[in-house]
Amino acid sequence: MADLLVEQLSGFGLATIMARKGVSGMAIGMALGVEAPAQPAFCRGENNLALIGTGAGSWFAHTDMVSPAWHTALRDRLAELASVSDQSDGYMLIRLSGEDARTVLQRGAAIDFHPEVFAPGAAATTVIAHIGVVIWRRDDDARGRPKYEIATFRSYFDSFRRWLDHTAAAL
Amino acid sequence: MRIDCPYCGERDAQEFVYRGDASLMRPESEDGMADYVYLRDNLAGPMTEHWYHAQGCRTWIAVTRDTTTHAMLGAIFARDGVR
Ligand SMILES: [Zn+2]
Repeated sequence: MADLLVEQLSGFGLATIMARKGVSGMAIGMALGVEAPAQPAFCRGENNLALIGTGAGSWFAHTDMVSPAWHTALRDRLAELASVSDQSDGYMLIRLSGEDARTVLQRGAAIDFHPEVFAPGAAATTVIAHIGVVIWRRDDDARGRPKYEIATFRSYFDSFRRWLDHTAAAL
Repeated sequence: MRIDCPYCGERDAQEFVYRGDASLMRPESEDGMADYVYLRDNLAGPMTEHWYHAQGCRTWIAVTRDTTTHAMLGAIFARDGVR
């Protein structure tokens, strides 16, 4: 019996942040009160805001519970520092958790998900079944099982879901 | 072939778009423009090339590799070194 929980997430907020020329991640982190990692990583701060490194000088901002003013507040705090683009409707988020979550991911993406390499707080932008994905690993659940979240473009979501269902069925 | 992106780490070459020789400099005038656009050395050995990490960090990088063995000899952000 496979130990895999698949949850399609809703109610989240997601935005891309791109630093202006010469603006450091440090300055962006200070403005938002959460570390803006210089490497592909998931950093969670106060007030339910997380930053995920997606490239040099670019991040995903993520919140579990979005409010109508979330994205404009983010933009205001980063005025002069970065460009902010709301992607809350542009991406879909899926959470994979359980003992078999890593196996499923490993069958899709050509990167190493061994816990020594991809520990809680790790993130990666890559492809699964030719579909662009951003993956990050949260803290393990209460029973010590891994928990991953995957962002895909909304228009590719049905295709991604098909890959996921087929792969999970083969566990 | 796997390319060691300075941001993402080691990734399959399929994630990248290939541009070519990173050592070429655009000439100031029309003289030499034809060579700049069309003429390429077919190097056997270490060569630095531009690659775009389209399916990853979306950054241009300069990768030095041995064209005869595909051994990776280093990679940097393109903006930090060769154009
Ligand atoms: Zn990269």
